[in-house]
Amino acid sequence: MTNAVSMSGVRKTFGQKVAVEGIDLTIPEGSMYGFIGPNGAGKTTTIRMIMSILFPDCGELSVLGKKSAVESKDRIGYLPEERGIYKKMKVGSFLKHIGRLKGLDSKGLDSRVKEWLDRVDLNEVYKKKCEELSKGMQQKVQFIASVLHDPDLIILDEPFSGLDPVNMRLLRTLIDEQHTQGKTVIFSTHVMFQAEKICDHIVMIHEGKKVLDDTLDDIRTRFDPRAIHIDPVAGAGSVDAIAQLPCVSLVRPVEIAVEVILNEGIDTQEAMKIILSTQPLNRIEIKKPTLEDVFIEIVTGGDTSEDAQLLRAKLLSGSKGEEEASS
Amino acid sequence: MNISKIMRVAAREFASTAMTKGFIIGAIVVPAVMVAVIPLVMMLAMSAQPPADTGTVYILDHSTEVLPVIEERLDPEAVKDRWIERFGDAAELAGKLLPSVGSSAAADTIDQAASSIKSPIFKIIPAGGDTDIDELKTELRNQVTANAKLSDETEKLLAIVEIDIDATRKLNEDEGYGAYQAFFRPKLNEETVSEIKDGVRWSIRQKRYENADLDRTLIAEINTIQARQSKEITETGERKEASAIASFGIPFVSMLLLLVASMTGGQYLLTTTVEEKSNRVVEVLLSAVSPIELMTGKIVGQMGVGLSLLAVYNSVGIIALIIFKRGDLVSPMTFVYVFIFFILAYFMFASLMAAIGAAVNDLREAQSLMTPVMIMMIMPYIFFMPVIRAPNSLFSTIMSMIPPISPFIMIMRVSSTDAPPAWQILLAILINLVGVLFFLWFAAKVFRVGLLMFGKPPNIRTLIKWIRMA
Repeated sequence: MTNAVSMSGVRKTFGQKVAVEGIDLTIPEGSMYGFIGPNGAGKTTTIRMIMSILFPDCGELSVLGKKSAVESKDRIGYLPEERGIYKKMKVGSFLKHIGRLKGLDSKGLDSRVKEWLDRVDLNEVYKKKCEELSKGMQQKVQFIASVLHDPDLIILDEPFSGLDPVNMRLLRTLIDEQHTQGKTVIFSTHVMFQAEKICDHIVMIHEGKKVLDDTLDDIRTRFDPRAIHIDPVAGAGSVDAIAQLPCVSLVRPVEIAVEVILNEGIDTQEAMKIILSTQPLNRIEIKKPTLEDVFIEIVTGGDTSEDAQLLRAKLLSGSKGEEEASS
Repeated sequence: MNISKIMRVAAREFASTAMTKGFIIGAIVVPAVMVAVIPLVMMLAMSAQPPADTGTVYILDHSTEVLPVIEERLDPEAVKDRWIERFGDAAELAGKLLPSVGSSAAADTIDQAASSIKSPIFKIIPAGGDTDIDELKTELRNQVTANAKLSDETEKLLAIVEIDIDATRKLNEDEGYGAYQAFFRPKLNEETVSEIKDGVRWSIRQKRYENADLDRTLIAEINTIQARQSKEITETGERKEASAIASFGIPFVSMLLLLVASMTGGQYLLTTTVEEKSNRVVEVLLSAVSPIELMTGKIVGQMGVGLSLLAVYNSVGIIALIIFKRGDLVSPMTFVYVFIFFILAYFMFASLMAAIGAAVNDLREAQSLMTPVMIMMIMPYIFFMPVIRAPNSLFSTIMSMIPPISPFIMIMRVSSTDAPPAWQILLAILINLVGVLFFLWFAAKVFRVGLLMFGKPPNIRTLIKWIRMA
C-alpha cells in the first residue's frame, strides 16, 4: 500500500515558539486517521504543512506521492479550522468558484453543486447569500467545498465543532461514506471522544510532538488499565472486603462507581468472578481505556500528581460539552 | 503558476468589485449619463424658443431722423430674418453635439424649425414731438395695472423710447453726442428687450455714421482683424501657441486619471484582501491556489477594474474633444502612454496594497501602514506646478525616473506641450518595469507570510523580518 502522506523530522517554529517538533508520520492510502491533542498542541500547524500552506523549517514531507501538496492540490480536499466563506457571494456561486479553483470543469459543475446541497438538506439555499445562512449551514457548505472536487485525500480540521447532534451525525455519515469509497481521511479534533467513534488510527500530538501513533484496538490493548468498575448494592462504603482481596491493589470511588484496580498479572475474568462472590452488585464491567486516559497516562507517565490532575481537568472541560451533545 | 487558476481568481475579483451596483453607478453610469445629457441640455438651451412678444413701441424721437431707421430695423420681417439666422447657428452647433442624429435629418429639422420660428412683432408708433413722456408712462402703467386682455395684441404697450435731440448730431463741437432712454413693461422677455435696445442703438449709430459721412461697412472691416493662429518656433520646427488648457489642463487631467484609476483598483484590492483574511476564506483559497497565484489573480482582477475606469473616462474625454473640435489638444500617443503608465503605476501601487491588506487584520489597522502610500500619492500633486512650468528641467527629469511616482510625473511631461525626448520615456518605462518587479517581489513575500498571521499588526521592522522568513 502506498502512503497518502509521509513526513519525517518535520519541524516548524514561529519566532521563539516551537509549534511542531520533529514529527515522523506515515498515513497509508485509504485509511482514516485522527489527529488528537489539546488546543495548541500543533495539530493545525501539522495539517497546514501537509497542505503546503505553511512550509516546514526542516524535515521531509510528501503528499500523494508528490514532493509537496502544491503539486497535488486539486486531489486534496481541505476544511480549515477557521471556517471561511465569501459573505456576499451566493452559495451556488461560491461552491462553483471553489470547484473551478480546484480544477473542476465548468461543465456539469452546476448539477454537481446542486446534488451535494441536496445531500446535506440545503437545496433551498443555492441562490441565497452565504451571510444569510446559519453557522451550521455555513459549515455544511464549507464541507461541500472541501469534497466537491472528489479528492483522494480529505483533510478536515476540527470538522465537528459547532454542530448540533443531528448535523454531527450527518457529517459523520458523509465522512464515513468518503472513507468507504477508499478515500484517505485525516481529521483533527481536540475532543478525543469523537476520534474514538470514527477513527481506525490515532495520532496523538502534544506540545508539538507525536506521542502516540497506533490503531485504536492496539491502543486499547496496550493501555489496558487493569481496572474493573463495580456498583455495590450496599453502596460505595461497603467495599472493604474487596480491598482485602489478594488480586486487588487499590479500590477508589470514581464518578458513578467504584474502581477496582487489579494487581499485575491477574486474569481479569477470574478477578471479576471473585469480586462478584464477595457481595451483591448492581453492575460490574471491565473498564475500557478512553483516549483521554491514554493521553494522560502518556503525558504524565502514570503520574497522579497535581499536574496530571490539572491536565485531566483541562481536557475534560474542553470535551465535556461536545461529548454530551454528540452522544 | 497555474494561469487558469489565476484568471479564475481575477475573474471573481473583477466581478465582485465591478459588477456591483455601487461601482457601476458611480464609475460608469454617471460619466456616461453626463456625456449623453450635456449636449442634449446644450441643444435644448440653445434651441428653446422664448415666447415672442407682440405689441406697441412708442418712439419719442426728438432728433426726428432716427425714427425711420428704427421703423425699418424693427420691422417684423427684418426681425424674423435676423432670428432665423441666429437660430441657424445654434442648431448647427447642436447638430455637432449630437453626431448620432444624421446630418441630413438634422438639416431638415433645422429648416422646419426656422420656418416656424416665432420672433417678436413690434408695432412702431411715433409720438409727436410735443408729447409729454409722462403721459405715455401713465398709459403703460394703466395697462399694467388693469392687466386686461386686449382685443388686439398689438395694442399691448411694450416700451417707450425717448431719443435725445442731439443723439445723432452734436449741438456743439466740444460736447459729446446725446443719448436715449427706454422704459419697458415689467417682466418682458429678455430677448424682446435686447431686440428693442439693439435696434435703437443700431439706428442711432447708423444715423451718426451718415451724418459724419462715414462708410459703416468700411469701419466694420477696419475693426475686424482676422489673425492667423500664433505659433511658437521650436528647435525642430514650429507649432501652435500653447493654450492654458493644453499646457496645464491636459497634463493635470492625465495625471489625475492615472492616479484615480490606480487608486481605485488599489483601494479595492486592499479591501478585498483584508476581507478575505478576516473572513478566513483565505485558507480555503490557499488550499486550492498558492499565495503568489492568489495575489497575482487579485492584482490582475483589480487591474481590470482600473482599466475599465480608464476606458470610460478616456472615452468621455475623446467624445468631448470630438464635440468641441479640439482634437489638436491631445495627441493619440498620449492615450497610449496613459495606458502604459497606468499599468506600471498600478502594479507598484497594487503590490503595496496587497501586502498591507495581507499584513493587517482589519481596515483600521491598515491606516497606519497606509500613510507612506498616501504620501506617495500626494507627491504628484505637489510636483505638478514645478514639473508643468518646466517639463524638461533637471528636477522634472529626475522625478520622472524615480518609482513609484515616476509614472505620474512622466505622464505629465509626456502630455505637456514640451514633451521629453523618446529615450527618456523609454528609460522611465524600463526603470518602472524594474520597480514593478521589486514591488511584486516584496508584496509576494509579505503576502505569503501575512495571510495566516493574526494578532498584533506588524510594523515595518516585522515586515522586514517576514520578508527574510518567506
